[in-house]
Amino acid sequence: MAAVTTTAQAAALHHDTHAGHDNYAAQLRMNRLGLWLFFISEAFLFGGLLATRFFLWGADTRPELDQTIGLIVTSVLLISSVSMRLAETAMERGNRRAFSIFILLTALFGLIFLGGVMIYEWGLFPAIYKGHLTPWDNKYGAVVFAMTGMHALHVISGIVFILIVWNLARKGSFSPERHWGVESCAIYWHYVDVVWIFFYPALYLIGNVVHIAAH
Amino acid sequence: MLKQSGYGIVIVIGVVLAVLTVLEYLMAINHVGAALLMLVAALKAILVIYFFMHVSRLWTAEGEH
Repeated sequence: MAAVTTTAQAAALHHDTHAGHDNYAAQLRMNRLGLWLFFISEAFLFGGLLATRFFLWGADTRPELDQTIGLIVTSVLLISSVSMRLAETAMERGNRRAFSIFILLTALFGLIFLGGVMIYEWGLFPAIYKGHLTPWDNKYGAVVFAMTGMHALHVISGIVFILIVWNLARKGSFSPERHWGVESCAIYWHYVDVVWIFFYPALYLIGNVVHIAAH
Repeated sequence: MLKQSGYGIVIVIGVVLAVLTVLEYLMAINHVGAALLMLVAALKAILVIYFFMHVSRLWTAEGEH
């Protein structure tokens, strides 16, 4: 009788564990779908900005922006995507030390990108670099600030997201089996990168330079 | 697939993205049209979306954890 009870309890436990896994897997699928639907809604926002750029500047003009800085900040953001993917791989393999290093590196690259944009595109620190564009003077400044400003907001929120995930990981909230927080943070960061992949040629490469007098 | 291949594929994709970025820059210097530049950008975006953002996990059980 006792043996039958134990077997039944074991079967029930196995059933519960299995059901728990199924629930988690179903939840994970829903989470992923939700995140991608969010990205689609965001694509309308960034797509609108991109359309504005081509509507106002056409395909044959662009403002004078520092090409070297453009290439550097773009490379930094691409490298940050690589380091973020490495962080995720480290978490999948249970390598917490590598995870911490790569995810903090990603945040650092994000900060470097932001610094590059704020100093050399916006000219926020004239002592270092005197910018020649303002958001209100002409269509070139307005579009540059709108596009880079909206993108920078997402970079800032991505860095905050990264620091929250890093702190949670430090406290042991994720495991190689269950780390949706890490995965969602990584996917969000890559999305920010994808947006810049389209913004970079639109702002820096397409069209001929129009010289604008400094104010 | 990515989970098994680990760090190596991530580095390879990173290098491909870097090469495409330099290519984009050189194309712009040589006054290649906007359409071609956006095409290269789209190729880069596809690489990031497929290899880094795991878009295929939306319709497969891959990477369930």
